[in-house]
Amino acid sequence: MATLSNRVSRWTLLLFACALANFLAAQGLILVGMTWPARAVSAPGTLAAVHLLVIGWLLLLMLGALFQFVPVITSRPLASQRMALWALIGIEAGLGGMICGFFGIAVSPVLAMALPAGATAVLLGVLAASWNLGVPLIRARPLRLPGRMVLTGLVFLFVTVMLGLSFALAFTVPALAPYLAPLLNAFGDHALAGLGGWFTLTAMGVSYKLLPMFMLAPEDRGIPGDCVHILGTLGFALAVAAGVAQVWVAAGFLRIAQSTGYGAITIAVAIYLWDIRRIYRTRRRRVIEVHNRAAVGAFGLLALGAALAISSLGTGRPEAGAPVGVFLIVFGWLGGLGLTQLYKIIPFLTWLGRYGSRLGRASVPRVQDLVRERRGGPWFVLYFAAILLGGGFALSGSALGFRSCMALVALATVGLVTEYWRAWRGHYARAHQSETAIPPFIANPRG
Amino acid sequence: MTPDRQDVLAALHEVIDPELGYNIVDLGLVYELAVDAGAVKITMTMTTPGCPAQDYILSGVYARARSLPGISDVDINLVWEPAWSPQRMTSIAKAHFGIQE
Repeated sequence: MATLSNRVSRWTLLLFACALANFLAAQGLILVGMTWPARAVSAPGTLAAVHLLVIGWLLLLMLGALFQFVPVITSRPLASQRMALWALIGIEAGLGGMICGFFGIAVSPVLAMALPAGATAVLLGVLAASWNLGVPLIRARPLRLPGRMVLTGLVFLFVTVMLGLSFALAFTVPALAPYLAPLLNAFGDHALAGLGGWFTLTAMGVSYKLLPMFMLAPEDRGIPGDCVHILGTLGFALAVAAGVAQVWVAAGFLRIAQSTGYGAITIAVAIYLWDIRRIYRTRRRRVIEVHNRAAVGAFGLLALGAALAISSLGTGRPEAGAPVGVFLIVFGWLGGLGLTQLYKIIPFLTWLGRYGSRLGRASVPRVQDLVRERRGGPWFVLYFAAILLGGGFALSGSALGFRSCMALVALATVGLVTEYWRAWRGHYARAHQSETAIPPFIANPRG
Repeated sequence: MTPDRQDVLAALHEVIDPELGYNIVDLGLVYELAVDAGAVKITMTMTTPGCPAQDYILSGVYARARSLPGISDVDINLVWEPAWSPQRMTSIAKAHFGIQE
């Protein structure tokens, strides 16, 4: 049995597998018409699909990546390998409870209690993950830009989960409703804290390390990188805090603060995209791999999604463009970036587990030999094209067009999952595979 | 006959950095290499501190050098200064990655 270095996250591949399963489940709900735009944004099916996407897919994906990535940027091990598994169990179990609760609210108060119970389990899972990641981050101070952005993201994650838990309690515990019910009007701020403060800032931080590393570009982002971090943090904090405060106080200065926050976010995103373009243009590695080429689609959809969401929020008509902007950000920017980077990370972790201990002792394939870019590349083209087209249909109010595009998105996702599976199984690298080689991690999860 | 420096370097061409998919010698990760009476002393680095493949690469370097007939000891000194950069690649590696000299 291959032995794993203690620099390799034991549970990351399992988190990725669960995340992808949840992603496909959410797409299934959309395809059968149980969600927006066929149903209301607050319909149980929409809430179930949204939380499958943001908790089941994006949160597990991000945490799985961070459990491997944070030791790289801090040169320090995780607080505990086993804690990653407990985080996964808490979040998955909690997500299951929340979905039962969404559908149970209209059925019975007992079933509805699964919502706060599930949200509490998610909170415990998030706390476990945050401790696991926070310990090496804090021990490695002073942190460089990627580490600072991940640490900031973790704070927003906590805010997001606490707001979500408050909503769950407001829905299901009558005694708390008088105090917490007004908070239900802040569900947009809950989404902004999660998609913006947590996912976007963290994804930006991770990309600031991974893209230069993969493309051999300068890592130091200088003042533009600091501007992205500071403006992004202030922008999201101001917009979320002012938005939540307006639930209780309708003051003019809060609306100004909120608009200022949106402005700062816009500038931060613009600088970030300009800086990412700079990374691509100054890269030393002229011939780049498909995950970096395809990531351009995610950056493009970030620009489009953020412009649509922020402009509709800024003009006071969020119902017009905000849901489509959120769709582009969730599927295009965050989901798209995740899918592209998985195309590198899964083969890399597979290589470490399967071939690493044979290095210098026998012939081993390269990480690049575990994939076939000619097969993976077209799926990314289909995925991003279908997201873009789907956004257009949603904007024009065509539910049928939107669902048709989502069928293509699901097809592309299944195609990519198949390629990940093949990489993990060593399908393309059999010439290098010894007869005793076994799939890594799940066979040797001790740590 | 005891292997000399060139023999050991040639052997280390079989050890790759898995992420870049290229051998560590042409990548310029081996800073110094000396052979003295069957003992090899290597000073080397990684492309980035905290590299998850670090333990495997070091183990691979040790195993490949130690496997040469006449080599009885391998001592690896991992350093972070000077930091590695693509400029340290050989011309062959630079051509592979499309890096201009």
